Amino acid sequence: MTLTSTAGDPVVRVSGTAQGAELRGSDADATVLAVGSTGVPAVEPLLSVTRRGRTGFHARCPPERAKTIVSTVAEAGDVTTADPDAVVEHDPDATRLPVPELPGFGVGNRSVLAACGWRRPTNPADHEAAGGFGNPDPAAVLDAGTRLRGRGWGDRCQDAFLAETWGTVRDGDGDAAVVVNGHGNPADALLLAGAPFEVLDGATALARAVDAERLVVYASAADERAVETAREAATTYPDPPAPIDVVAGPPEYRAAEPTMALEAIEGNHRLEARLRPPGPEEVGLHGRPTLVHTSRTLAQLAIALRDGREPETRVVTVTGDVAAPATVELRESDSLADAVDAVEVEGTVKAACVGGRFGGLTRDLDVGVDPEALSAANLGTDGTVHVLAEDSCVVEFVGRRARFAAEGNCGRCVPCREGTTQLTALLRAVYDGEYDADGIEELGRVMATSSLCSFGVRAGRPARTALAAFESEFAAHADGRCPAGQCVEPAEVT
Amino acid sequence: MRSDERDVDVPPLTEGIAPGTATDPAVGSDGPATVTVDGTAVSLESGATLLDAVEAVETDEHVAALCHYGREGIGPRSECRTCMVATDEHGVVPACSFPAEDGLTVRTGATDAAEARDVNLDLVLSDHNLRCTTCGKNGRCELQDAAIEAGVEEPRYGVFDDRDEYEPLDDTSPFIAIDRNKCILCNRCVEACNDVQVEGVLRMEGSGSDTRIGFQSDAETMADSTCVSCGHCATVCPTGALVEDGIVDATTIPLPGFTQANSVGETSERAGERSGPMTPKKRAEPTSGGDGKAGDAAGNASEDGSDADGAPDVNGTPGAGVWDDGGDWP
Ligand code: SF4
Ligand code: SF4
Ligand code: SF4
Ligand code: FES
Repeated sequence: MTLTSTAGDPVVRVSGTAQGAELRGSDADATVLAVGSTGVPAVEPLLSVTRRGRTGFHARCPPERAKTIVSTVAEAGDVTTADPDAVVEHDPDATRLPVPELPGFGVGNRSVLAACGWRRPTNPADHEAAGGFGNPDPAAVLDAGTRLRGRGWGDRCQDAFLAETWGTVRDGDGDAAVVVNGHGNPADALLLAGAPFEVLDGATALARAVDAERLVVYASAADERAVETAREAATTYPDPPAPIDVVAGPPEYRAAEPTMALEAIEGNHRLEARLRPPGPEEVGLHGRPTLVHTSRTLAQLAIALRDGREPETRVVTVTGDVAAPATVELRESDSLADAVDAVEVEGTVKAACVGGRFGGLTRDLDVGVDPEALSAANLGTDGTVHVLAEDSCVVEFVGRRARFAAEGNCGRCVPCREGTTQLTALLRAVYDGEYDADGIEELGRVMATSSLCSFGVRAGRPARTALAAFESEFAAHADGRCPAGQCVEPAEVT
Repeated sequence: MRSDERDVDVPPLTEGIAPGTATDPAVGSDGPATVTVDGTAVSLESGATLLDAVEAVETDEHVAALCHYGREGIGPRSECRTCMVATDEHGVVPACSFPAEDGLTVRTGATDAAEARDVNLDLVLSDHNLRCTTCGKNGRCELQDAAIEAGVEEPRYGVFDDRDEYEPLDDTSPFIAIDRNKCILCNRCVEACNDVQVEGVLRMEGSGSDTRIGFQSDAETMADSTCVSCGHCATVCPTGALVEDGIVDATTIPLPGFTQANSVGETSERAGERSGPMTPKKRAEPTSGGDGKAGDAAGNASEDGSDADGAPDVNGTPGAGVWDDGGDWP
């Protein structure tokens, strides 16, 4: 039995703040549950009070007000008396967030994110009530892999159907390992912090299907919430098929790359990508055949197995020139514009960098969020949309991304290590009136065809796509003008 | 080896070695294979790479393979990417590290592969101090060979030629001079030192444009490192980055007063003549009675029992496990 069904007393949930945990032990007259973030920090701390199948939501509500709200509700017997920002009627035993009509919740369809902001992340009873901890038949798992694609750049099977790689691992020599990669993408960290059992359900089902002897959850040391919650969830997870280790890796962006993740887990003090082929599915963690999947991929797998059908959703985080970033879950038929609708843009949208740090730039948001549509538009599929408002300068933006790539690469291969340095120089030269579009194009092409890992493969994408979509802005900069008026040191061209 | 060491369960000598590089899988084909290179069928033994195939025939275009060594189990590091070839099956791939899978069709003249080789060679040159006339490797340098073979006249990104940004030459060791401004980061020296000589002196360090050859003991200079001056690193180095001290200017063009050392910015010179033995000794590993540092670092607490106080081993026999230069040996 879960606490949601407590007959008369209101149940309060506090989402998105560590303070919820403290309140739990306080003398509030009701059950106070600390739940994970909803993925929409703009409304957090989000306090919800539930009584008899009705929940009132209080956005940006200091947790200290919980007590007052609870006594108001308890006295009047109705959640609306506490003056909530939104009210939702739902099944009294609801195990998923009853989606309120608040900014950030208007789009999509939360299935992978259903637990976020509703269930206590590491409480097994909450997860069990939601149908979790199932023990799906390995054959069903392998079958699901024929229709499910990997999500995120930290996934060894990004955008590819999973079954083939799973087969390689299952048939490989040695005991297999499954690595949950929660590093590098806000949604992956959100799931580890807010719905770790969903992720572990996917990971354990997969571990059983490929006979894995080791299960490792990997996240950035900077995402403390994700690391701690995953640790707690790992110890409370009932009957895992293999011991679950949780490893915090260095916070660098490149550390999410699947082979660098393995290097970090193995404890190499210097972070460098591994040569491939053979990839980790043949020779991975300590030489074992290893699957590296993101939290999102594994949570999607868990949901697919539970529902008996594919959850055709995409978890997307919108950031950039917005009041607050938000992580939303869209149907694959939804568009980037739908994702952007979930946030409050500061000004009007000029462009978006879609698909990770090294995503593609586009003016057109009328692009579907499924991998085919995104790839066809030269955009990335990492599940992020960085909004650029009208007063942002695209040339400056891609210059910064290039410099980030030059500073953040592992240093192993020439096209990336030296290529990003030259790319940065070529972009800087635009300010000196030297606009070599062909040179940038050529360099970006070679980085993409010959870099050792996807860091270098993608590092040139922001510049290349911006060149195509914002040609005139580059030309203007070469003439010493910044149309957005943002470049602090406009070129002085003689 | 002393008698009292014999029965101790020592870890492999490489255990404490930290070269700073990724643990690469073994590359090469799983079995014998026949691949087609520019129309010619080539049969290869198990473990072969596409470069083996490319080198076996007359190809349409030259494939540089600059960072490839291919002997003594060194490499492939596959970092320079000047060996890119096109395959019908996998697109453009690095020949030096791509397994020669049976049935592959390789084209060296494909536009995208040729472009990648060309641009990557120029990228290597962009970070290279191209002062060949004052370089001891002039005439026997693999980068020079590759650039000549590829007909590079003016590398598109220029060459590294800013005296303010040069790393100082490390001329502190009586045996080996390091000019990092010529290093292509092929990692051969690191592997020669760690995997072949099992000396554990050199490592790859840093990231991005700060990536460089350094020392596992955190020493700043070659003289302060735990180097035993075997010279293997200089032997395998494809460029003038590591040169035996006796021949640093063996092949330079004799311009009065113009040497490798003064053609760049600063040089770290040797501090006077070294007294004592030619080769600095490594300090023996402290035993469990010592500070425990070496045991921790090696992940192993093996000990030889003879240096109960962890003092330097005056007999000069390196203890098994990790090196600890400690900075205080003679
Ligand atoms: S592409 Fe960049 S990050 Fe990846 S191996 Fe090469 S240098 Fe390292
Ligand atoms: S000369 Fe020194 S650095 Fe070079 S391989 Fe020998 S021990 Fe290592
Ligand atoms: S010093 Fe020579 S052998 Fe060592 S990485 Fe540099 S170029 Fe290669
Ligand atoms: S020779 Fe293949 S990458 Fe350098």
